[in-house]
Amino acid sequence: MNNVKIKSKNLNVYYGEKQALFDVNLDLNEKEVTALIGPSGCGKSTFIRCINRMNDVIDICKVSGNIEIDGVEINDKNLDVVSLRERVGMVFQKPNPFPKSIYDNISYGPKIHGKGETKSELDEIVENSLKKAALWEEVKDRLDEPGTGLSGGQQQRLCIARAISVNPEVILMDEPCSALDPIATAKIEELIDELKKTYTIVIVTHSMAQAVRVSQKTGFFHLGKLIEVGKTEKIFKNPDNKMTQDYITGRFG
Amino acid sequence: MTKEERLKKRHSAEKRFRFYGLASIFVALLFVLILVHNIFSKGSSAFMKTAINVEVFFDQELLEIKNGATEDQILEADFYDITIESLLKVFPAQDLDQENQLIDLFTTDAEIEIKRAFLENNNLIGKKINLEITASDDIDQLHKGNYPRDLPEDRRRISDFQLIIYDNLVENKKIIKNFNNYFFKNGDSRDPELAGIGGALIGSFYSIIICLLLAFPVAVLASIYLEEFAPKNKITDFIEININNLAAVPSIVYGLLALQILLATIQLPRSTPLVAGITLALMTLPRIIIPCRASLKAVPPSIREGALAVGASKFQSVFHHVVPLALPGTLSGTIIGLAQALGETAPLILIGMVAFVVDIPSTPIDPSSSLPVQVYLWSESAERGFVEKTSATIMMLLSFLIVMNFLAVYLRQKFEKRWN
Repeated sequence: MNNVKIKSKNLNVYYGEKQALFDVNLDLNEKEVTALIGPSGCGKSTFIRCINRMNDVIDICKVSGNIEIDGVEINDKNLDVVSLRERVGMVFQKPNPFPKSIYDNISYGPKIHGKGETKSELDEIVENSLKKAALWEEVKDRLDEPGTGLSGGQQQRLCIARAISVNPEVILMDEPCSALDPIATAKIEELIDELKKTYTIVIVTHSMAQAVRVSQKTGFFHLGKLIEVGKTEKIFKNPDNKMTQDYITGRFG
Repeated sequence: MTKEERLKKRHSAEKRFRFYGLASIFVALLFVLILVHNIFSKGSSAFMKTAINVEVFFDQELLEIKNGATEDQILEADFYDITIESLLKVFPAQDLDQENQLIDLFTTDAEIEIKRAFLENNNLIGKKINLEITASDDIDQLHKGNYPRDLPEDRRRISDFQLIIYDNLVENKKIIKNFNNYFFKNGDSRDPELAGIGGALIGSFYSIIICLLLAFPVAVLASIYLEEFAPKNKITDFIEININNLAAVPSIVYGLLALQILLATIQLPRSTPLVAGITLALMTLPRIIIPCRASLKAVPPSIREGALAVGASKFQSVFHHVVPLALPGTLSGTIIGLAQALGETAPLILIGMVAFVVDIPSTPIDPSSSLPVQVYLWSESAERGFVEKTSATIMMLLSFLIVMNFLAVYLRQKFEKRWN
């Protein structure tokens, strides 16, 4: 078993009056893929958006409780979210490359964090990131073309490369394949398998099959509560909770 | 009702709607055509002026200067005598009254035109040259066919004797039509043949530049702050409602405001492009903020999130990603706002730009006119020459507006392209 990287303790999230998460206690292991499953609106996305404090953007969102990364509290008002997000990258549901060149999409993050002072250093970061995202071979001859001109699957891998470019420790993926066809999905899953050697990955997914294929650990959310969490094999073969059983067998959700 | 009947009814309703739509477009186009035709038919002749070919003899006895005189000497010198002398040679006049009628065929600036010829070449003493002296407004209109010559003499501004001279000049091909450089070069004048939009053009130019310099940065910064940084609460809601209200405030109210604050309280100089620019900026500000905010809003939130997720600060995500994407929309909104400001008349009348200004303004704090106010001024004048000048000024104003709107559309289309 790997070390615990991220630890949430009694995490509660409110959107205005509405409570979205109830006392979530969840440990995420280092260099492992954790899948979060559950019906729509159950709080999976809200949970991962707490890990890089993306919920700060939403005015009415209030977070209480603790999240620790490597034992350091990140729900601290004084914590610099910019350096947190440098350590915790994110890939969104819909590919959202910047309407700029492929090269600029990747080099933007390193540039604003002062990584890659020279052109050759940046070139190297761009090449490595694209290679890690398994996109290099497809785009190496057209780095100056707009990122928005790529296919959906390529765009999503570009976004993964963009997340990798600042060399994070954790990558959050919010349903990264929901807008992609099965072939592109397979490529991303293959990629996730490769990336987990270097990064701690949290993936939200609606596909049970995907959770089984890519993750080592699975958490099941329902109505803002973490119902059950455990090794992926156990959750899908022999869950403790009746609700988990019903959800993974498709009886509700 | 059977199925067939319902189908028939639906089809005829569709046909009726199509007809109404087409008819509306046709009516709208018809009005535009009538307007354009009216303006062009009246105004296009203003771009030409009538001149009379006159033989001028630079008589040493009548002039007090010599060949090679300096510019100052020439400007000082009196060219009145040789002007009268030259003009009288155009046609034999019997008495003083006829002489006066003959001289009235020419512009009051005939002396200046002759002097100008001498300024260009100060070696003309003792020589004869042919000069094209601008004709008076009445002859100009007569020659352009805008003047009815079949009226009885006492109801005409042109006498029978003048008509005889005119016909004689036409026969001898002494009357010419030239490009009307006065129309673009000169300021306003009481004489239609000398009046031009030079002053109004410069005045409008200064006003719009000042308006742009004041309104654009304020509007853009206000929009960015309101759209991206301001908390969404009752105060920002209140500000938003008021920006929309301000955009709908009649422009004359801004004129009153400027009259009270800029002229009466701060005591800025009246009738100047400076005050006009500030007034127009106040008026244009909300009209630029609204499209600016709309174009910022049109940038998808996913772009902001993408930037934040790689660790850009709020400021960086806005200025590196959102603002560049919103810029074309912002610029096109600004241009449309400025186009509105360019055509604005009422507030400028209130701040005194309606004054009769002959001089071309050389700085924004010189008294000046502006294009729409010039239209207003000339449309009130009785002389026929001002009718064509009014229309010609409208043509100039419209062509500026068309160019500006075209630019705005071009920028917006470029903006749309960038999403694919």
